[in-house]
Amino acid sequence: MRRASIVIGLLVLAWTVWDTGADPVRLGRGIPWIVDFLRRMLPPDLRVLPAALLGALKTLEIALLGTAVAAALALPLGFLSARNVAAPPIFQPARAALNFFRSVDTLVYALVFVAAVGLGPFPGVLAVVAYTTTSLAKLYSEAIEGIDRGPVDAITATGATRLQILKFGVLPQVLPLFLSYVLYRLETNIRAATVLGFVGAGGIGFYLQTYLRMIDYPAASTVLLVTVAMVMVVDAVSSRLRARLV
Amino acid sequence: MIEVAGLRVVLPPAVAAVDGVDLTIGPGEFVVILGRSGAGKTTFLRALNRLVEPTAGTVRIGGRAITGADAATLRGLRRQIGMVFQQFNLVRRASVLDNVLAGRLGWTRTLPSLFGRFGADDRGIALQCLAQVGLADFAARRADTLSGGEQQRVAIARALAQAPSVILADEPTASLDPALTSSIMDLLKEINARRGLTLVVSQHQLETALAYASRVVGFRRGRVVFDGAPAALTPPAAAAIYGDDR
Repeated sequence: MRRASIVIGLLVLAWTVWDTGADPVRLGRGIPWIVDFLRRMLPPDLRVLPAALLGALKTLEIALLGTAVAAALALPLGFLSARNVAAPPIFQPARAALNFFRSVDTLVYALVFVAAVGLGPFPGVLAVVAYTTTSLAKLYSEAIEGIDRGPVDAITATGATRLQILKFGVLPQVLPLFLSYVLYRLETNIRAATVLGFVGAGGIGFYLQTYLRMIDYPAASTVLLVTVAMVMVVDAVSSRLRARLV
Repeated sequence: MIEVAGLRVVLPPAVAAVDGVDLTIGPGEFVVILGRSGAGKTTFLRALNRLVEPTAGTVRIGGRAITGADAATLRGLRRQIGMVFQQFNLVRRASVLDNVLAGRLGWTRTLPSLFGRFGADDRGIALQCLAQVGLADFAARRADTLSGGEQQRVAIARALAQAPSVILADEPTASLDPALTSSIMDLLKEINARRGLTLVVSQHQLETALAYASRVVGFRRGRVVFDGAPAALTPPAAAAIYGDDR
């Protein structure tokens, strides 16, 4: 049984190697081209630095606004899809909806919203909101399902209403976790937002794509360096904040 | 006055944790529910304020049926019944004062309380209750920085803040070391004597029951096997409660 599954696994992998045309020799032949590409990117063209920084700022704004709106929208959804808060007729469809909308990536949402509201950072914000709301709601609901039942019993016993039980028995237990998830999502959203510009949804990705198309590799490398620096700084700040929460 | 008639609680899958209990507890009594762990003491107490839904039978609090009561009536009756738990069940990240204020939730309109607004006197009541359990100086501390005995005192203050006529205490000393047992039981006795509150306290320790109770109710396998004054609890009666189940 076990040997059979290993053999089947290897066969599947072998087929994917053949079907994708994966070929180490071909990669080897391509290495000089990669080296050439990198050489043509150097030195970075610092004249485009102001433009790159502006693009980075816009990307930050897209991620920040999108994450903030999603963090709030996900709150009711998170409670509605928690097994121990909502009744089965509510949480089962809520769960299913979350899984459905979460299976589509931010970039795909961006394509839809660019078509709907036009080019620029705004469709980028909408795309971040669309994906992050559902993914945060899922994380929220799992945090809610993991709470200690004790304080909830105690608050219930005081004669509190359902909303009071949520506010005083559940929320204090999950709020630090929620904040930590929001910060984590902010980190990943900044990374996701760097490519939103590729489909016309604003931010630093727009500059990267433009310079690559113009075959202006030194300018593109400046944009790339700014992107890397921005992501690293945000990651460092955010993970420090998260460490203080838990 | 607590009137219990024909109370049965069947827990999933099919365990009759409380199996036909009739009991009337008068105002101002200090009743100790005595029994081994698993005898149904906890389920019995939790059925009195419907933290556990009874399968059959009735419970009346001050003449009003809590079994079958609608949500608003249930909350109103729960408000009269303070509850203290083995694991204290405080909101650990919240301050001591906020934990005690939660005892006022039954007296507070939902909407203002969601924004942290309580009645004008509620803070004063909470501080007064804290003083009564000897923790006047602890109001601003975070609950999880207190020792176990102190946390149980906070939980008692929370129950007192409800201005209840009854306090149910479910194994309030089982998580504490023996030296603290008497200090918590002394406190409950003092509340019983000074405020004239009815106390229903579950205990598995015979000595503690004898030392504090005005009436002992022995539980075994979900049934009442002894009901009388501590002095009447002869060795055969104790054997009927604890007996050999093998």
